[in-house]
Amino acid sequence: MRVGSKADNEGAVLGQIVLQVLRREGIPVTDRTQLGPTSIVRRALVNGDLDVYPEYTGNAGFFFHREADPAFRDAARAYALASSLDREANHLVWLHPAPADNHWAIGVRADVAMANRLRTLDDFARWVNGNGRVYLAGSAEFVESDAALPAFQAAYGFRLRGDQLLVLAGGDTSATIKAAAEGTSGVNASMVYSTDGALAMTGLVVLEDPRHVEMVYQPAPVVREQVLKRYPAMRDALEKAFRPLTVEVLQHLNARTQIDGEDASKVAADYLRGQGAGP
Amino acid sequence: MTDSARIARFLPVVILCAIGIAAAGLPFLHVAPNRLLSGVPQNPDSIALVVAWLLVAVAGCSRFRWLATACTAAMVITLPWLAGHDATQLLEGASSTTRIQTGAGFWTMWLAALLLLLDRVRGLRIAWQAGIWAGVAFVLVLGGMAGAFDNVAVMREYHAQRGAFLDALQTHLVLSLITLALALALGLPLGVWAWRAKRAGGMLLGVFSFFQTVPSLALFALLIGPFAWLARQWPALASLGFGGTGAAPAVFALVLYALLPVLRYTVTGLDAAPVDAREAARGLGMSRWQLLTRVQVPLGLPVLLAGLRIVAVQTVGLAAVASLIGAGGLGRFVFLGIGQGATDMVLLGTLAIIALALAMDLLFQGLHALAESRS
Repeated sequence: MRVGSKADNEGAVLGQIVLQVLRREGIPVTDRTQLGPTSIVRRALVNGDLDVYPEYTGNAGFFFHREADPAFRDAARAYALASSLDREANHLVWLHPAPADNHWAIGVRADVAMANRLRTLDDFARWVNGNGRVYLAGSAEFVESDAALPAFQAAYGFRLRGDQLLVLAGGDTSATIKAAAEGTSGVNASMVYSTDGALAMTGLVVLEDPRHVEMVYQPAPVVREQVLKRYPAMRDALEKAFRPLTVEVLQHLNARTQIDGEDASKVAADYLRGQGAGP
Repeated sequence: MTDSARIARFLPVVILCAIGIAAAGLPFLHVAPNRLLSGVPQNPDSIALVVAWLLVAVAGCSRFRWLATACTAAMVITLPWLAGHDATQLLEGASSTTRIQTGAGFWTMWLAALLLLLDRVRGLRIAWQAGIWAGVAFVLVLGGMAGAFDNVAVMREYHAQRGAFLDALQTHLVLSLITLALALALGLPLGVWAWRAKRAGGMLLGVFSFFQTVPSLALFALLIGPFAWLARQWPALASLGFGGTGAAPAVFALVLYALLPVLRYTVTGLDAAPVDAREAARGLGMSRWQLLTRVQVPLGLPVLLAGLRIVAVQTVGLAAVASLIGAGGLGRFVFLGIGQGATDMVLLGTLAIIALALAMDLLFQGLHALAESRS
């Protein structure tokens, strides 16, 4: 079985979890984790060049051009829709996802959040509209993509001016979070992923999204139907390993690889051992 | 010695030592609370470094060439050792996530020292040059194995990823060598053909120039479909590891990028034999094949080898993109490091790529010198 994963920090950890669970089940595996960016990994799976990799439910919205579908704003319906669309179109099976929802969000410095009583994006909109001194760092994609900042602005009724935005073309959350944490050029807010490993250490407050602007992005192993039929035991094993992955657990695992620089395979092994599922 | 010769000899020493002394004012090390956040500059031994550079400058301007070379080599070795030593002291009592990163001061000085050594050994026999560099590398590797640099952030990255790193290094080298071999096997005959058929050759060069402009990631995305299809049609290919991801598309793309310079240098190399020589050879009754193998190849070989040296270095650098399609290699650390915001991990991958590229360069330089002396 060829196990892939995305090349980013969280992808590396999730890929190692899938790989090690399958290995423990006695399934012969080939390690293709950290294969590449989403576009490459997804294509490889669809073309039968991979057998399984962890993908986020919300991304199915992009794969099938259904970003506007309200179903993708609800965890259970997003999973059901993603799995039925992919089974029909590509004979791919989505196993049950982890509870963690890794979506785009806005994080603000703890001191700023405290002083202005910011907890949700509604609070943020009130603060911005009341001439709050916000300076937000984000990637070009975050600032321009209809799935990110423009969607937040439309739903919560605020508008960031050009001089309130620091756009890092091709920037990662690691770069923007660092800017906010260190207050580089006065940055006090940053785009974040809700499961970012850098959050706990930098003390950024992730603003809640009560209007569910963001789609639900729960990570789930996606398997080729044919392969799942040959190794049916993998379903239970993988779902059991993904079930305890809450936002907090993922943040912690991501922090171990990103902040402490540990190897993803070691972090995954420790996690599985802690679940009583390790070797 | 004339004045101008003296200036030419001492100018690099003066300039590089001045740079070294000036760099003592830049941060030698940074103490960062963890991998992500920026560090606080530390300059524990600026004065000692200024004195050391002055000594190197004096030795460099002295009449004893070997003394200058030895002092410079000592500087190249001492700087990393000092960084490792200071890092150990700075880490005393610090939290386990603390990272000691090498700063601009260190890198500027080390680069100046390396350039100075390069200048000092210039003109020596190639065997001496290789010996001196190998000696310096040997001492550094030995020091690394003894743990002298273990507390510097880049080495911390190395130790956290040790197994993966050695794998990646090997993969990177193998990918580069396979690419070079294939690019030569295809590029040389194509180059000969392009040289003979000038117009078609021009078109061929145009086509490969076009491929040069296609971004690697886009090329990979396009290749997955057809390559996966091929692997499904011929399971024997698939069992060899051929597929839509992995080494196959990576090598394919790298060969595509390498073919243009190979073609170019082949054509230039064949042109290196003057028209008179070619006509004289024809006059002697040589066939086209004899002309190629007995006149053009020996005369053009130095040009071709000089070109291949560039192709080899370029390929080692470009092979970093192989990790975007699951073929592994040192690019893995570059891209993961960028994603994690971990500069030291990026540095680990980059330094290894630079070292490989330099080794390649040295190898081809040797071959080049050999070919030059023959012809």
